[in-house]
Amino acid sequence: MTVTRQETEAAPAVSVSPSKEPKRFRLSSWDARYTPYLIIAPFFLVFGIFGLYPLVYTAWVSLHDWQLIDGNQGFVGLANYVELFGDSKFWNALFNTLSLFVLSTVPQLLAALGLAALLDRGLRGSAFWRAGVLLPNVISVAAVALVFAQFFGRDFGIVNFLLGFVGIDPIDWRAETWASHLAVSTMVMWRWTGYNALLYLAAMQSVPKDMYESATLDGAGRWRMFWSITVPSIRPTILFTVVTSTIGGLQLFAEPALFDPGFAANNSTGGSDRQFQTLVLYMYEKGFRLFDAGYAATVAWMLFVVVLVVAVVNFTLTRRIAGKG
Amino acid sequence: MSTRLVGSVAATLAMVLVAGCGGSSGADGKIELSLGLFSDFGYDKLIEEYMASHPNIKIEQRKVKMEQHNTQLATQLAGGRGAADIVALEEGVVSQFRASKDKFVNLAEYGAKDLKDQWAGWKWNQGTTDGGEFVLGLGTDMGSLGLCYRADLFAAAGLPTDRTEVAKLWPTWADYVKVADQFTAKTPNVKFVDTGRNVYKAILDQTEEGYFAKDDSYIAESNDKVKAAFDTAAALGTKQQTGALEPFSQDWNVALKQGSFATTTCPAWSLALIKAGAGDAAAGKWDVTKAPGEGGNWGGSFLAIPKQGKHPKEAYELAKWLTAPEQQKRIFKETGNLPSQPKVYQDAEVLATVNEYFNSAPVGQIFASSAESLKPTYRGTKDSKVGPVFGTALTRVEQGKQSAAEAWTQALKEATDAAK
Repeated sequence: MTVTRQETEAAPAVSVSPSKEPKRFRLSSWDARYTPYLIIAPFFLVFGIFGLYPLVYTAWVSLHDWQLIDGNQGFVGLANYVELFGDSKFWNALFNTLSLFVLSTVPQLLAALGLAALLDRGLRGSAFWRAGVLLPNVISVAAVALVFAQFFGRDFGIVNFLLGFVGIDPIDWRAETWASHLAVSTMVMWRWTGYNALLYLAAMQSVPKDMYESATLDGAGRWRMFWSITVPSIRPTILFTVVTSTIGGLQLFAEPALFDPGFAANNSTGGSDRQFQTLVLYMYEKGFRLFDAGYAATVAWMLFVVVLVVAVVNFTLTRRIAGKG
Repeated sequence: MSTRLVGSVAATLAMVLVAGCGGSSGADGKIELSLGLFSDFGYDKLIEEYMASHPNIKIEQRKVKMEQHNTQLATQLAGGRGAADIVALEEGVVSQFRASKDKFVNLAEYGAKDLKDQWAGWKWNQGTTDGGEFVLGLGTDMGSLGLCYRADLFAAAGLPTDRTEVAKLWPTWADYVKVADQFTAKTPNVKFVDTGRNVYKAILDQTEEGYFAKDDSYIAESNDKVKAAFDTAAALGTKQQTGALEPFSQDWNVALKQGSFATTTCPAWSLALIKAGAGDAAAGKWDVTKAPGEGGNWGGSFLAIPKQGKHPKEAYELAKWLTAPEQQKRIFKETGNLPSQPKVYQDAEVLATVNEYFNSAPVGQIFASSAESLKPTYRGTKDSKVGPVFGTALTRVEQGKQSAAEAWTQALKEATDAAK
């Protein structure tokens, strides 16, 4: 935007006095024109090497019978994709991924919104609370997963122990699909709720206070103000968190992997009947346990498409909901 | 400003790229050899000695978990760089890597065939291919099978506790299942065995052909022995006599500490794992005896040399030294890893070894005698892909999600897919 405006302003100047300060002017024109590109170039360079190239290469691999160690075994066209669409394990993984995504992201963002609203009310020792909510996020995912895997132990886990007090029989958290999804989602929520709450909090603090004052004068309650002023005001931030959570949530790997005790023993299928095998876990199984890199690349590409579709849907949906006020 | 920026980006990239390619000759002119291992091979002291006697060689050990080790090695072989000069290949995956033998040095080129008679015949064969012409790896330890049991839990169930008497209880696996019934009738709250998966694997490891015939053809569907092993293990699972535990996992450790199961199949190398999991409080409570059925092998490794290494000759010399009888004997005394060479496991000193933690069981004798009668299973190229499918099927039975028949049908379907 700025660049074009400068260009249009500069154009007539050139035609009026072409000989005046020619060199310096040409330099500054060059500067105005290309410097922004140069400044953002490193990102695109790095993205090209570490983002675009692997993406294209993965697509290329997915069109081949490609073994991890022995490499390319010949072009097979779309055969991997055809096999994938008929592969019940793929659909199972897709279902698990979407289920885990919904179970972890929706409550997570709502909780983050509530947490941020509480933090925004000027508690005593606010710095302490704000740092506190971020704490789960800075702890390594492996540590979190190991601790939660113990919590959700079948025989000696603390969750079953506590459930025992209210008369609920021990649950085999890894055997039942819904139970395993609940357990894995808890882990994800534990890690990311605070992080999103801080993002919301930052956005809430830039909402002009006079809006609340006039709303109070009009007799609006806290609840009404929250939904009619706060939420619409921080809409861009909500959209941002929805998109990033979508991308992160659909690529879930470490939490379900470490929740499966078989992961260390070379037979990680995400449960005895793939109860919590996500798409990334399935990709890992195909690529790094069965050494079928071509098929793994196919799963990776399908995951890319799924993330893209869900992100766009979420973006549109959230924009509409948050925009209503 | 902009040129400086571009310059610094270029410099950073150059640094990243340069850092990616490591050299393998040190600044001091020494030859650097790396050793890619998992768990405990007991090489720490040996390596120091080797470096002292070979001043021009510097050795670095890289230890990671086994699963990670195999995956890393596969990607390193695929990428053509990054693999250690010497890598350990576990018995369960050696057949898989044998299929990619062109990524490895044929040790026969350095005279490995002359060493053949050091090892038990089957151990040597597992590490070779092309009818013995291609030597992929030199054998380290082996995992002949014993059965570990908790004497105090046996006493509580009114069963004999002396290891000779216990061995007489179960000449066959069918007898083992009967003992399980007696045990459960008396002490229903204690599980008889940790997991049906290991029972299944142990039974199958006692047959000469499992999922694959010796010509590498897939026979799991028609091999009665696979079905029989599965049914035996599944019966234990259906009757809730197993702990339904993932072997060697954290839950397994906790169960060991809590004393919630009474027996577990134990290859020589697993004694250390049981001891670590059960802790000092259980010292003397666990004991080892002969496993039901004929002797079998589970585990044990090989040292192989990837072609991408810069010093295959020196690497071979080191691997040869590390797997030599004298060193295997020392490793057994330090870690309990069972030697794979008759000269060593028949050595008087090795035979006389007892394990104090396991109620002073004569482990030298138990495992060596089991090694003598051993008929190792042929591992097909895709064994490591097919095997886990049956393991998870047994877990489904133990979890009560499926009947033995349902689990078997599903496993067979998945295995056939994996063997394609």
